[in-house]
Amino acid sequence: MFVMHGVRRTACAMAALAALAVSAPAFAQEAKDPNPGALTITGTVDFLNQYQFRGIRQNSTGIAVWPAVDLGFAAFSGEGGLKSVGINFGTWNSLHTGDTGADTDETLLGCACGKLWYESDFYATLGFGFGGGVSFSTTYTAYTSPNNGFSTVKEIAFKLGVDDSAKLGKAAFKPYALIAQEFDTGANLGQADGGLNKGTYLELGAAPGYSASKASIAFPIKVGLSLKDYYELADAFGDYQDNKFGYFSIAGIATIPLGGTTNFGSWNIHGGVEYQRLGDTTAFFNSDEDGPRKDQIIGSIGFGFSY
Amino acid sequence: MAVASCLGTAPARAQGSSADPNPGNITLTAGLDVTNAYLFRGIPQDDTGVILQPSGELGIALRQGEGWLKSVGVNVGVWNSLHTGIAGLDGLGKLWYEADFYAGLALSVGKSAGIGVTYTSYNSPNNGFLTVREVSFKFSFDDSAMLGRASVRPYVLLARELDGQADAGSAEGTYLELGAAPGIGSGLRVSVPVRLGLSVSDYYEGADGDESFGFVSVAGVVTVPLSSGPTRFGSWNVHGGVEFVRLGDRNEAILGDRSKVIGSVGIGLSY
Repeated sequence: MFVMHGVRRTACAMAALAALAVSAPAFAQEAKDPNPGALTITGTVDFLNQYQFRGIRQNSTGIAVWPAVDLGFAAFSGEGGLKSVGINFGTWNSLHTGDTGADTDETLLGCACGKLWYESDFYATLGFGFGGGVSFSTTYTAYTSPNNGFSTVKEIAFKLGVDDSAKLGKAAFKPYALIAQEFDTGANLGQADGGLNKGTYLELGAAPGYSASKASIAFPIKVGLSLKDYYELADAFGDYQDNKFGYFSIAGIATIPLGGTTNFGSWNIHGGVEYQRLGDTTAFFNSDEDGPRKDQIIGSIGFGFSY
Repeated sequence: MAVASCLGTAPARAQGSSADPNPGNITLTAGLDVTNAYLFRGIPQDDTGVILQPSGELGIALRQGEGWLKSVGVNVGVWNSLHTGIAGLDGLGKLWYEADFYAGLALSVGKSAGIGVTYTSYNSPNNGFLTVREVSFKFSFDDSAMLGRASVRPYVLLARELDGQADAGSAEGTYLELGAAPGIGSGLRVSVPVRLGLSVSDYYEGADGDESFGFVSVAGVVTVPLSSGPTRFGSWNVHGGVEFVRLGDRNEAILGDRSKVIGSVGIGLSY
């Protein structure tokens, strides 16, 4: 297993939370709102066979467990052009039972071998909601690795999204674009690709879906691209080439609420399957004994909580 | 690794005020403190640079009622210590010295008694120490209804290491803490927590074997609410204090001094 040291592998903190938000329908509330204040707590725990961060493989064996929690502050809500302002803080974690976690080969992770806790991310988001379902947010994220699986990556991301469900109803597409810039990097340090230069990442995606009273299903689709140096790959001479295409992903996620809203909030179980088609850099990171692999299938199941 | 003693038995708080922004059964408490030194139960961890201690806890009120069992609550939380000095950035190259995860069950029994059991995993993301896993039991008594302003709120905490050791000794230890938290005021509050830390077995192992006396401490803490009552964003406060810690021989040998004065200031949130 070649890829796990020096190469940054991080999490999809925003993606996971976005998936939670997207897939949680506004089910009818059987009880009075237990939390009418301005703070919202959300949490998830997911179990996956494989962890790919923006197409970059993070583990080869075992499973990954993703506990996450987010605290949201509804700082403003109103009627004019600016509908809402929100601030979110959160942490997202990845615990690995396999080769990048509890079953670490000590030659790869140095003194931190055998530790389950592969990744811990902290983020803060400032988000604005506008008329027409348009939203814009900026997020600072620090991706850290308690078991020294990678060096800390710091990133600022900007996301523009449109919730077109008011116009299109069940045919809503919910498109978005995300640009992320790494900063405070060095050669092979502080970068998702473990490359030479800090990278700029572009993600274009959408999350069509269908919600019913007893379940919802979503089909998130996205493509990850390097605007600059995000998917660097070294050749045999040590020269780095940036490959623009990182990955393409399509998934199906089903979410089933557990009993509606109670004094303990809203709970759900969810699960899904994701297919990723990888570019040259990410396929290289996804190599096995037969060489680079262009495809990856990820299965996940978990539960979520919103209060 | 100071969280357990603070959070051991507090049941998820009672709900109900009409102005309460959160009348449900889940509560959030969080804090961010800055301090000049960090001693865990008297065991020196770091007294260089700046130390930040962010924490968060979710409380789930499972039962509230009358009868002998007044309340049952579950608490889960995380407590962290970030160091710029020798236990962090300067010495180990990474800021994040400690991350503790805990889960507890707390019962309120009779008029004033509290019983809690807490499992804690003490971890060090920058490999400053090996993971310690512990189970602790806390018995507390709220005598404020009887004694009013003269109440002392005594407690006893007994902790048993399951795996790993706080003293990095040869055997898992058992720790006993006797304490009290007298104080006055319900809005602006001044409290004077007192603690005595003892080794029941192998908790303060040193060159001369296990030492029973670990530390004694007394502190003065002032908490100032930032609003007269709960807001949509919960109840916020600023707090600060000074703690004087007198150490046993084993801990003195590590610190290089018999005593330590610790100052801290921070913000807190309850929602």
